[in-house]
Amino acid sequence: MAQRLALQRLLSLPTRGTLASHGRAFGTSAGRRSTFNVQDGSDFQDRVVNSPKPVVVDFHAQWCGPCKILGPRLEKLVAKLEGKVLMAKVDIDDHTDLAIEYEVSAVPTVLAMKNGDVVDKFVGIKDEDQLEAFLKKLIGA
Amino acid sequence: GKNEYDLLVIGGGSGGLACAKEAAQFGRKVAVLDYVEPSLQGTTWGLGGTCVNVGCIPKKLMHQAALLGSALKDAQHYGWNISQPVHHTWSVMAQGVQNYVKSLNWGHRVQLQEKKVKYFNIKGSFSDPHTVRGLTKAGKETVVTADNIVIATGGRPKYPMHVAGAQDYGITSDDLFWLKESPGKTLTPFVFNVSLECAGFLTGIGLDTTVMMRSVPLRGFDQASHISKKKQICFTTQQQMASLVTEHMESYGTKFLKRCFPTKVEKLKSNRLQVTWKNADLNMEETDSFNTVMWAVGRAPDTKTLNLDTIGVKTNSETGKIIVDASEATSVPHIYAIGDITEGRPELTPTAIAAGKLLAQRLFGQSSELMDYDNVPTTVFTPLEYGCVGLSEEAAVQRHGSDNIEVYHAYYKPLEFTVAERDASQCYMKMVCLREREQRILGLHFIGPNAGEVIQGFALGIKCGATYPQMMKTVGIHPTCAEEVTKLHITKRSGLDATVTGC
Repeated sequence: MAQRLALQRLLSLPTRGTLASHGRAFGTSAGRRSTFNVQDGSDFQDRVVNSPKPVVVDFHAQWCGPCKILGPRLEKLVAKLEGKVLMAKVDIDDHTDLAIEYEVSAVPTVLAMKNGDVVDKFVGIKDEDQLEAFLKKLIGA
Repeated sequence: GKNEYDLLVIGGGSGGLACAKEAAQFGRKVAVLDYVEPSLQGTTWGLGGTCVNVGCIPKKLMHQAALLGSALKDAQHYGWNISQPVHHTWSVMAQGVQNYVKSLNWGHRVQLQEKKVKYFNIKGSFSDPHTVRGLTKAGKETVVTADNIVIATGGRPKYPMHVAGAQDYGITSDDLFWLKESPGKTLTPFVFNVSLECAGFLTGIGLDTTVMMRSVPLRGFDQASHISKKKQICFTTQQQMASLVTEHMESYGTKFLKRCFPTKVEKLKSNRLQVTWKNADLNMEETDSFNTVMWAVGRAPDTKTLNLDTIGVKTNSETGKIIVDASEATSVPHIYAIGDITEGRPELTPTAIAAGKLLAQRLFGQSSELMDYDNVPTTVFTPLEYGCVGLSEEAAVQRHGSDNIEVYHAYYKPLEFTVAERDASQCYMKMVCLREREQRILGLHFIGPNAGEVIQGFALGIKCGATYPQMMKTVGIHPTCAEEVTKLHITKRSGLDATVTGC
């Protein structure tokens, strides 16, 4: 804790409190910064479609069992990439129109988006190796 | 034409969705409006209508939860080591059921998208016979015009009119299935199939449950108190079957307050509800406290906000339901109605779906086939289920005269009840046949486990005009409960003991 505050003062970063007021999921770990919950259509436009970095979009639902396994698994791997790719989570019940617009039918559906275009996609649960390959392909590594 | 859509369906329930999707198959431009007005307690839900959200689906799943509880009790006799008593956690069941319902809401949304049906989440009202307008949740006004309009807005549970506190403190089936916490000690006045089914599973999961009935059980099944020629629901006025069903529930722990009706509901400091009622037999007032009061006093259509008066769609002055002819047409050309909102029709999902599909086929597919509402099979999912198809005994007597019908019946014991030492006193079946010539089967009634599964197959036979001799020639499957239907031979007329034994 003390280390973090010292680092923030050194880098002249705003304190955690100010960042939190933006309503985003912020934390000190790189992982938490690279995953966020989409708030609405324009939020999706700003942070996914117009994102300079590639984004994996995880369409999920609270009633979907496999989603609860895939979500954390994907999040963990995205975190390991330290910001090279971001992850946007979309609850399809909260954002039905968005899900319909992107032709989601079953969940989980994961889209890989680069420069506003869908460049890759998968439906259903995947293991870590398959997810790593999916992410590698997206970054172009 | 000049209208935006070929077909507009108001109401995204069983009937509405089926009609819309069928019409879209013909390449027509179709739109569906669906909107759920929150219940008085604030409960709301997604696309799919009553069946999916607050009817058949959650009800059958909770009924299953209760049956599993009974199975756990039986299991000991079959050798399983299960520590008794077994406990039930409402929130786990509710979560599972609610999650499944939400997946269905999503599934329906996807289906509309795939079939290219335009969906609006708005509460529509007519401004003229081809124009419906409504507000989105964001407050934006949307106007939809169509050549043909189908009204399929269904019904909602009624609240009793003259009971103080009924609306403030009571819930209905709209709320029960969405409760996050257990309803606890529950009272459900009066008696319709809804309160019996709900009281049944609430008792089955271990809750202290009381049913309050003004008069006789299942009387509310009468869509009209007279027996109309065409639209029979097989359990109309089935007093015998209703008594057996409630007898079974009583022996399994549901309390019945007979010939009582509530007068007021008050909230106590403890948050419990104090209910006062009049006991007609003792001619005095009684009272008790409950955690939940769930009203099941019938369902009524929500036609007021539709603005039907302004466009001239005629409704039944007593029930508020829309009057339709055999082709589901209302009094206004190009406006039709299907499902629970229509007068004189069964309040069932399969009939609404079938009627919706046939209507779409007649409108856009050059078909002239009308919906056949005769011999519609159905089942009440009380702890001991009651399934039936065709005429009730009373209806058969009224139509043909008691001399012209023969009623075969039997009390039987499901094999599975034997080792489990379960009481089968109410396991009963009866077949109502014409007495003369080929002895056509008019109606079949079955009380027992899996009644719905048993009756479904026999419904085909009745549809094809099956006769008593044909039934007797049908070989039974052994050992089952259903086989007893093929062996029915004791008549009510003979007065003989109708108890049959297995092999």
